[in-house]
Amino acid sequence: MEEYILEIKHLKKYYGRAKGVEDVSLKISKGDIYGFIGPNGAGKSTTLRTIIGLINKTEGDILFEGKEINYNDLETKSKIGYLPSEINLYDDMTIKQLFDYHETFYKKDLTKRRKELVKKLKIDETKKIEDLSLGNLKKVGIVLALMHEPELLILDEATSGLDPIMQNTFHNILLEEKKKGTTILYSSHILSEVSNICDKIGFIKDGIIIKEDLTENINKNHYTYLVIKSKDIEKIKKELNLKIVKEENNKVTFINNIMPNELLKKLTKYKIDQLLINEISLEDLFINYYK
Amino acid sequence: MLKREFKVNLKSFIIYLSILMIMFLVVYLIYPYIVTDETMKSMDELMKIFPEEVLKTFNMDMVSITTAYGWFKSEGFTFILLIIGIYASMLGGNIVLKEENDKTIEYLSSLPIKRKTILSNKILVSITYIILMLLIFGIFNYIAFLISGEFNQKEFILLSITPLFIALPLFSINLFISMFLHKTRKTIGISLGLVFIFYIINVLSELSDKVEFLKYFSIYTLADTRNIITNVKLNPICITISILITCIFVITSYIRYTKKELI
Repeated sequence: MEEYILEIKHLKKYYGRAKGVEDVSLKISKGDIYGFIGPNGAGKSTTLRTIIGLINKTEGDILFEGKEINYNDLETKSKIGYLPSEINLYDDMTIKQLFDYHETFYKKDLTKRRKELVKKLKIDETKKIEDLSLGNLKKVGIVLALMHEPELLILDEATSGLDPIMQNTFHNILLEEKKKGTTILYSSHILSEVSNICDKIGFIKDGIIIKEDLTENINKNHYTYLVIKSKDIEKIKKELNLKIVKEENNKVTFINNIMPNELLKKLTKYKIDQLLINEISLEDLFINYYK
Repeated sequence: MLKREFKVNLKSFIIYLSILMIMFLVVYLIYPYIVTDETMKSMDELMKIFPEEVLKTFNMDMVSITTAYGWFKSEGFTFILLIIGIYASMLGGNIVLKEENDKTIEYLSSLPIKRKTILSNKILVSITYIILMLLIFGIFNYIAFLISGEFNQKEFILLSITPLFIALPLFSINLFISMFLHKTRKTIGISLGLVFIFYIINVLSELSDKVEFLKYFSIYTLADTRNIITNVKLNPICITISILITCIFVITSYIRYTKKELI
């Protein structure tokens, strides 16, 4: 049986009557990188904040290593690293003071890993937190999330504010972490950012996971744009039951994932005036899912 | 975490303590010069104009303000109760909520620390600072009275302890209220408002027998200074009520904080 480090079952979160998350279910295998993709306001941060116990779930289960997560269990908490999308740290401290403070919460010695990360991310520990730019603040956040070598790393819009070189460095760090067996839940609104390093991708829209697939399957890109012009278009729409992107007169653009042979078989009974199959980029696919 | 909490809250502690010490130091320094036979005579005449109820408010009906110690027991003690009350209230309203207001709670929550421990550390630091303020200010006054002249040591010690019985309930009530808020800007008004409302209710309750029942609605009733000045002993009922109120609001704060949405 596959071992899941994190399993979320039908997570629901409402703020009074306002919806935060409607129904999120996902399973992350040990050592995997899971891309959690969705536009702003889709419920990504709410899901992550619920996982770390910052906010309370309305319904559903969050299982860590097979057991309902217990936020009073310090051993569990010390196995999790979290990088929030907006980093707010103690302004009065220097980076060194903050890292020293951070270390006091963990039983093990974090010095070695801290030094490695500080060197890789080119951090000047003498700087004060209040003087840091958004990018440098993010780098400090990355060290804080990784310093204790967590088993589960939760990243929320991790690269926002980082320049392309630093993004690359950060992704290399994540891949090294993966090699060591760290599981990563990586939330982003940019699919192309995570598709290179993730094993699995889940798309969230309006608080619901609408699609989940292995990255290799998504990257195979068997999704295409399918344009059909026909007088029988209404019947074709029913027959294919595909997501429609554009519709004008009798011409409809679908997002197609039906294999060509099967598609042609389905279409032979109709009179087709025009048929076009175009490639679809991951970015387009993502955008169209959320239309 | 404890060490950091002490460091972060040191500044406000020094500010409040300095306000108290500077204010009292000025009074102690100028008192020998303003208290002359002539001024006392005109003061006595002035006292006759004031209604008894007003004099009662400042304990002036039973204490002579011809000495610095007399001033300390009357007007001075009112200032102490108000300033310590404001300090305790502000501490209660801010110490936990500040993490949410500054959004540092997101970082703190990701650390291996229980919410109960976060709250315990903050309460411990607050109570330590409140006690420390009374202790340092008490020593300061003690030295001042040793230099300036005679005073009743037992009465002075009991009076110096008394603000604790209003400070702890005020701290805990504000702490509890802060459990329902997310921004500290709301707590400033609430903290100051509570102190003044409780104080005014207490003053009103002393104005007439008809409104004496109001004393049951003010934390300031628990600082039973008139009893200390008259009988030179603490009122056990007030101490019990003070501890009880503090415990109730601290416990309910723990219950609320473990379930609170922190963002």
